[in-house]
Amino acid sequence: MPEISTLSEGIFEITRGKKQLATRNLDPGTTVYGEKLFSVEGSEYRTWDPRRSKLGAMVLKKFKIPLKRDSKVLYLGAASGTTVSHVSDIVSDGAVYAVEFSPRTMRDLIGLAARRRNVYPILADAGKPGTYAHLVEPVDVVFQDVAQPNQAEIAARNAARYLKSDGHLLLAIKARSIDTAANPKQVFRDEVKKLEQAFEPKFEILNARDLKPYHEDHLGVLAKLKE
Amino acid sequence: MKLEAWFGTLDLCEDGKVLASDLFSKNVRELALRSLSLREPGKGIPPAGFELRSAALACGFVESPEEYDFLLHEVTLEAAKLQVSGAITPDQRIILAVEALDDINETVNVLSERLSEWYGGYFPESGLSGEALALFVAKYGSRKNVDPENPLSAKAADSMGAELETLDEALIKGFATSVCSLYDRRKQIEAYIESSMENIAPNLSLLAGPMLGARLISIAGSLKKLAAFPSSTIQVIGANKALFKHLRSRAPSPKHGIIYSHPMINTAPWWQRGKISRAVAAKLALAARMDLYSGEKVPSLAEKLDAKVQQIRAMNPEPPQKKQGDGMKSKPKGKKKRRQ
Repeated sequence: MPEISTLSEGIFEITRGKKQLATRNLDPGTTVYGEKLFSVEGSEYRTWDPRRSKLGAMVLKKFKIPLKRDSKVLYLGAASGTTVSHVSDIVSDGAVYAVEFSPRTMRDLIGLAARRRNVYPILADAGKPGTYAHLVEPVDVVFQDVAQPNQAEIAARNAARYLKSDGHLLLAIKARSIDTAANPKQVFRDEVKKLEQAFEPKFEILNARDLKPYHEDHLGVLAKLKE
Repeated sequence: MKLEAWFGTLDLCEDGKVLASDLFSKNVRELALRSLSLREPGKGIPPAGFELRSAALACGFVESPEEYDFLLHEVTLEAAKLQVSGAITPDQRIILAVEALDDINETVNVLSERLSEWYGGYFPESGLSGEALALFVAKYGSRKNVDPENPLSAKAADSMGAELETLDEALIKGFATSVCSLYDRRKQIEAYIESSMENIAPNLSLLAGPMLGARLISIAGSLKKLAAFPSSTIQVIGANKALFKHLRSRAPSPKHGIIYSHPMINTAPWWQRGKISRAVAAKLALAARMDLYSGEKVPSLAEKLDAKVQQIRAMNPEPPQKKQGDGMKSKPKGKKKRRQ
């Protein structure tokens, strides 16, 4: 029988031989990307692969994940919905506004959203937050994984419009998509500085850590609005 | 102040209270179409931090937060489906065809080699390979069946190959038939790409040839993206490894990416190739833009490219002299001929 312990609200650690990250499945009986399902004490859990999800890696890197059961999340760069599915598990009574720009990956995301009532798929450019202003309400968390050279600016623009004043920003910075040639460490320093100073609103960085060994040259950042 | 929400048009007073509202019907499809029409940034974007949910409750569009969730979920899902179904444009179809072609090429090469290995044991003297071999095996099977008019009949008669038994013959013949049909499929896809390129990118097709043009669109992601590329990018598309090596270290910059397959470049002597690549890329960038924005064929573009290339050939008839340093002391640097 696997043992289960809580790491953060809605995020669990399953121990059966080895330790594995997991969330409680909102869509019992269905796997999203081939992850394993476990039934413990009448609930079904889905294992969460930190190598395929930057948020999963951030949990293991001891970030304090600001997601609660009723959180509303604006998820930029939803892709096929691997991580979105876990966020949707965590915020079971909340909402995930999942913004994705590519129609190809949106196909998979639609399949996911059709089975999960708290996922709202939006095919739009995260760099233009005004284009989904008629759909998205203020949120508690902006999560961003867009791998764009101007991702700090994109985060700031979305936070300005949608993030509640006590909300949090979670983002994954991919050094290689900001500058292929530069040293990743330097890129991380520059990007963090940009978040702190360059745009409106400015952020206060609560935590910033390299996501090694789960993701190469990625930095995870947790921030809140500067008062 | 008026603003547009997914459920209706609202009129707000200064303190954010809803004064009046013009609500839509609760038809999911209508709401989804309406939502798509609101994507264009225009007037009536809700202000930052606007509480859509409480406004929807306040003006009586929905009775409970649950109803709001349910309806918004249906609407966003429907809108996304509408967008996805409209996403396959003519250039996307070309890209899919190019990708299918690459897969077929790879497969057909592997299978052809397998066939040549396999049939070689029974008729090593045939000297055939690729499609010719596949056609030959599919037609005759064992070399005993080669008809006398075939030029290979004499060789077939006194081959040192083993006898092909009935069971093996059926197997190998079936295999060869499959390979033949893959070659046919390849021709079909090539013809498709040629005719579609003529329609959606006539200038690019004229200057680069339909296959190279299609590949450029495929790597760029769409004709629109290709048209937005500077010509220097077009020049090195496909030479990623060499380009990043150049950017990271002191490696020489690549002279050409996939445009190397352009006949003007790959037939040129090495010292002219970089210059011609640059000229070709410049005109390809123009061609892509013309195709995207006007769609009309402009034959003068090809003439200008010809003239430019003639000029490059005339100006650089001889290979450049390698710089002679002080005898044995230094090797010439950065003069090494290197391809991607």
